[in-house]
Amino acid sequence: MPDVPKNMAASASALSLPVSRREKGEEERQLVRLAQSGEEAAFEELIRRHQQRVFGLVSGILRRREDVEDVVQQVFLKVFVSLKRFDQRAAFSTWLYKISVNECWDYLRKKKVRPLVYEADLSEEQVSRLDGVVSADQPPASSSDRAEAKDLLERMMEKLPEQDRQLLVLKEVEGFSVQELAEILDLNVNTVKVRLFRARARLMDVYRRRLHSKPAPPAEGKEG
Amino acid sequence: MSMNSENRNTGNIYAACTEFEVALEDHLQGSLRGSEAATLTDHLQSCVGCRAALADAAASARLLAIAEPSPDPGPGFSRIVMARIRQQLQASEGKSIWRPFVSVAWRFAASAAFALVMMVSFELGRRSQSHSDQSIVAQNRIPEIVQDRPALPASRDEVILMMADTSNGKQ
Repeated sequence: MPDVPKNMAASASALSLPVSRREKGEEERQLVRLAQSGEEAAFEELIRRHQQRVFGLVSGILRRREDVEDVVQQVFLKVFVSLKRFDQRAAFSTWLYKISVNECWDYLRKKKVRPLVYEADLSEEQVSRLDGVVSADQPPASSSDRAEAKDLLERMMEKLPEQDRQLLVLKEVEGFSVQELAEILDLNVNTVKVRLFRARARLMDVYRRRLHSKPAPPAEGKEG
Repeated sequence: MSMNSENRNTGNIYAACTEFEVALEDHLQGSLRGSEAATLTDHLQSCVGCRAALADAAASARLLAIAEPSPDPGPGFSRIVMARIRQQLQASEGKSIWRPFVSVAWRFAASAAFALVMMVSFELGRRSQSHSDQSIVAQNRIPEIVQDRPALPASRDEVILMMADTSNGKQ
C-alpha cells in the first residue's frame, strides 16, 4: 500500500502544475474583469502581482533609476484608464508589458535622454577583479566588491548599443524569457535569440577593449 | 558543413556561424534537445568561431550574473499608485460637475449662432431680392412716350358727360 499514496501524489503533482497554472490564469482574468467593472481592490491586487516585473522591465530600458518609479506609476495609471478596452485576448501581463515598453519609449523621447558616458577607464585592480568573475565564475566576496563589480558592469553596459543593453538586462538580469521578450518587443523568437547572442559577443568585446588594452588571446587556429 | 566562411573574427569578436546562432543561444540556456543538440555538438567540434563565440557568451552570462534584478518596490507602492489614480479620478470628476452646464451652454450658443446666421442671411437675401426686382423693373420700364389712354365710358351717363366735356373743351 505505501506505493499507492506515492503514485497518487505523483499523479496529483503531475496534474496539479498545469491545473494550478490554469487556475492562476483564470483567477487573473477574473481580477481583470472585476477591475474593469470598477473594483479598485481588484486593480490594486493586479498592481501588487505585477509591480516587480514592471519595475524590472522599466529599469531594464531606462538608465536612470530615479525615473523608474515615476514611469511605473504612469504605466499603471494608463493601464487603469484603458483597462475597459482590454479584451483579454492576450494575457494581461503581455498587454501590461507592452504598455510599459511604450511608456518607456515615450519617456525617453520626451526627455531626449542621452547615453551616460563614463570617461574614466578602469584601474588594473578593477580589471583583475572582473577577470576573476569572467574566467572562473567567482562572484565578488564582499558586499563592497560586489557593489564595485556592479558599477563596472554598468559602465561596460553603457558602451553597448541601446538595443543590446536592454535585451541583456531584461533577459539576464530581470529574468524575462525569450518568449516574453519576443511578445513585448514584437519580435520573432529566433530574432530575439540571435540578437541576444550577438549582444553577448559585443559585451565581451567591450570587456576586452575597455578592460584590457592588450588584444584578446588568439584563437586556437581555424579549422573547418 | 555550412559555415560562415570568414567567421567575422574582426577585432576581438568571435562571430558564430549565422545559421547556428539560434542553436548556440538555446544551448547556452540549456534548452537545446535531440537532433539539434547533436548537430550543434558536431559543428562545435569543427568550428573554432562558434566555439569561441559560445565561450564568450558563457563568460558574458557569468559577468551579467553580478547584476541584481530590480528590488520589489514593496506593498506601499500599490497604495501610492491607487492614491494617484483616485486623485486623478477626483480631479476629472471635479471638472465633470460643470460639464453638463458647459455642454448645454455650448448647444445653446450654437443654436443661437445658427439662428442669427439664418436671420441675417434671410434678411440679406430678401434685401438683395427686392433690390434686384427693382432694378429689373427699372431696366424693363418702357419710356412714357405715349400718354395713358382715357378710360372708356362704362355707362350711358358717362358717355353724355364725356360728350359734354368734349363740347365744352372745343368751346
